[in-house]
Amino acid sequence: MKKLLSAPVLFLGAGALLIIGILLAFWYSPIDASSMGFSQKIFYYHAPIAETALVAFGVSFVAAILYLRSQDLKWDRLGVVCVRLGLLFSILVMATGMIWGKAAWGSWWDWEPRLTTFLLVCFLYAAYFVLRSVVDEEQRRATYAAVFAIIAFIDVPITWFATRLLPAGMHPVVITAGGTGMPGSMFLPFMISMLGMTLLLVALIRRDYEIETIKDRVSDLKTSLGG
Amino acid sequence: MTVAEGAKYVAAAYAIIMAVLIIYYFMSARRVATLQRDMQLLEDEAKRLKAAAAGSAAE
Repeated sequence: MKKLLSAPVLFLGAGALLIIGILLAFWYSPIDASSMGFSQKIFYYHAPIAETALVAFGVSFVAAILYLRSQDLKWDRLGVVCVRLGLLFSILVMATGMIWGKAAWGSWWDWEPRLTTFLLVCFLYAAYFVLRSVVDEEQRRATYAAVFAIIAFIDVPITWFATRLLPAGMHPVVITAGGTGMPGSMFLPFMISMLGMTLLLVALIRRDYEIETIKDRVSDLKTSLGG
Repeated sequence: MTVAEGAKYVAAAYAIIMAVLIIYYFMSARRVATLQRDMQLLEDEAKRLKAAAAGSAAE
């Protein structure tokens, strides 16, 4: 089981699923009949990346709570890794969303609820790193970062529900309580891409966590060696 | 929008995603390798110093 969840296996699985997802998206799924047309193909990676970004922020929220309860720095390391990957994925979502917006709506940006709240998520989690960079003492930095991660997470459910509670915006709602609103030929590549992107997130979290752990070990060794 | 027009936007979006994720993958792999090498060197140095200190104490 441990071998099955090792980083190389996860990366291979993620890569295979993402390739299958993209192939199905282009050769199996029909071209969208709405005004979006062919540009709708962006959806098959854009939406999974958005959802995995929010998952990463969710994990950082849990890690922040666990850190505050235990004061164990392993949770701080997990929090940093998840925020970093969540931010990376969020930037990808914003970039691909803008391209899709230009293709589908004719404008790069619109101050509608989903886009605005997602932009706010990006700014909040970018501020998380600014905060970490100005506190030197390790435990205090971890505590401030954990409190900030908990506060920043408030915007994540707001982003998720923005299009559901305020449907006046341009951003489409795909997954609702009533179903997916798309045919099976579109849903299948979407779900495969979603699974691939989730596996990729898990693999990257594992690897980045290893980086943070080794960095701490190297720092401790340097201190003990007097340099 | 024609398929040809849409394809330009789709290609740009997928190119950005692929490029960023692939670069990040290789950068993080390289970072792990570099850090593991640094850690090994430091651990060897720590062991060497410890052995030297034990040797001089024995004398």
